[in-house]
Amino acid sequence: MNPKGEPRGAPHAGTPAARWWFRDTLFMRLFLLMWAALVVSHLVAYLAVTSGRPPPGPGGGGFGSASLPTFPSLPPTPGLPDAGRPPGPGPGGPASGGPGGPGGPRGRAPGLPAHMLVLDYGVRLLIIGAAAWVGARWLSRPVRHLVGAASTLGTSLGGPEAPRLDETRGTAEVREAAQVFNRMASELHEQFRSRGLLMASLSHDLRTPLTRMRMRLETVAQEPLAQRCVADIREMNDLIETALEVFRNADAQEPAQHTDLLALVQSLADDLIEQGQPVTLAGSSLVARIQPVATRRIVSNLLGNALRYGVRADVSVRAQGSWACVTIDDLGPGIPEAQLKDVFRPFYRVDTSRSRGTGGTGLGLYIVRDFTWRQGGHITLSNRAGGGLRAELRLPLR
Amino acid sequence: MVRCLVVDDDHEIRTSLQAFLQRFGMEVTAAADGAAMRQAVAATAFDVIVLDLMLPDENGLALCRWVQEISAVPVIMLTAQGDPVSRVMGLELGADDYVAKPFEPRELVARIHAVLRRTQKAEATPSAQARQVVRFEGWTFDRLRRQLLSPDQVVIALSSAEYRLLSAFVDHAGRVLDRDQLIDLTRAPGVDVNDRSVDLAVSRLRQKLGDLPREPRLIRTLRGEGYLFDAQVTG
Repeated sequence: MNPKGEPRGAPHAGTPAARWWFRDTLFMRLFLLMWAALVVSHLVAYLAVTSGRPPPGPGGGGFGSASLPTFPSLPPTPGLPDAGRPPGPGPGGPASGGPGGPGGPRGRAPGLPAHMLVLDYGVRLLIIGAAAWVGARWLSRPVRHLVGAASTLGTSLGGPEAPRLDETRGTAEVREAAQVFNRMASELHEQFRSRGLLMASLSHDLRTPLTRMRMRLETVAQEPLAQRCVADIREMNDLIETALEVFRNADAQEPAQHTDLLALVQSLADDLIEQGQPVTLAGSSLVARIQPVATRRIVSNLLGNALRYGVRADVSVRAQGSWACVTIDDLGPGIPEAQLKDVFRPFYRVDTSRSRGTGGTGLGLYIVRDFTWRQGGHITLSNRAGGGLRAELRLPLR
Repeated sequence: MVRCLVVDDDHEIRTSLQAFLQRFGMEVTAAADGAAMRQAVAATAFDVIVLDLMLPDENGLALCRWVQEISAVPVIMLTAQGDPVSRVMGLELGADDYVAKPFEPRELVARIHAVLRRTQKAEATPSAQARQVVRFEGWTFDRLRRQLLSPDQVVIALSSAEYRLLSAFVDHAGRVLDRDQLIDLTRAPGVDVNDRSVDLAVSRLRQKLGDLPREPRLIRTLRGEGYLFDAQVTG
């Protein structure tokens, strides 16, 4: 949006300002905006005020011959002696028929009647206010873009592309900020990708020696140690698979689809009930825009935790405002308050012995949080008053 | 004697798998890469091919497609990508089964046998071949992902029991199935399937399909006879 007064030919998309006589900087834009606002407010105020008055006659009328206020004088003010009034036909002798009419009081500016003054001030106030509002939106637009790009940076890290700002639009300061942001975003993105790729290829390549070992164990299957080795191979495989899942989810960027969240939770609950696990479910059908495969993994991990550490899982699904909420309560020992945030860290185990008998890989909650955040959702863990843990998952409805 | 071709670039995996499968009475040929596989397939007719996805010279999926074009040999893909999405993709691209490394050797044998059984049955009754995506009454039933897509494009997940039941209905659309038949068709290892569980699964499925409980249209109850899946199935 170009305010009036900006010279034509100001740079738009394409090469940055190459004109020596006009550099698109914040200063220039502000200067032009203020100048334009002042000019326009003066003009409009004048027109508003004079449009209601009869045209000033020669040497007569209450307005005198001050037909056009000069710039940048004060607007006529009652009480101020002639301060802002332009020199009329001389503050000369009374015989010259000075302003104010014959015999009118001298030294006292007639000024404007009160309601005209209000109109004058009012119009200027409105115009300058409007210019300020337009200007603020116009000048802060690049900041809004920056905010938008920065807020998507977190969830897009590890994905195929980093967010980019347009480096050709805007003032010189904005273009510089955009360049710096783009460099930062692309460096972060590279770091994340290469780390993710490293983990993925490492995990992938580990599977070949694991397969060889598994085949060898088959030939000595009758040995007592063989079964324990096979169990270890399975454990290693689980770890690899879980680690790979994180990378895959970030890389694939599964599209969000309208999904019946109750049906999704219920299908997982039903499968567990079919295996004899104590799970209950309450809730009403609701449709949310979520990633079905990722959400399946989230709920499955939370249910698994509830059953493994908490004896049973009581689930409820309902809508709260603009969120879809899935709550899973269990009857276990909960998690010590101090560690409620720590448990989301990768490979974190509350049981410091990291024994397989007492828990899993330590990646389950990390995956839950990562998969949740990438959909713009939230996950909260809290200890229930009567004992046990409550996991609250919130996902956007739309 | 089952003739099996094993294609994997790792020497020890090839030889140990060959020795293992031979213990189960299979005649096993081994190939180390795509070129060797093409030679072997051209020279001999195989009953089943176990194919590694990552080969040094060619993409395993491309080889799988090639083999399926020239013969009806079932292919089991062997791969380090064990996740559900890759599994779905592999099956969509023509593999008959998908086994993740490191695999349980006995499980591989079981799957080879299962795939051979399926191929024999398919040859006998070609119409019984299971399709991956099936449509009826505006609904899309994705058998690979085990989910439904409603007429207004909402994803509706299915539990294992519902999936087995819907598969049975879709395979026998338009025919009345009594409870005993349904129990038989929806059997699963380790699961106790009985009259009650069948009825429960039917009512759950009706709910998900939006079938009115008073007047169900898609899954009809025929008193004294059983259930009827009344829909035109395409795809």
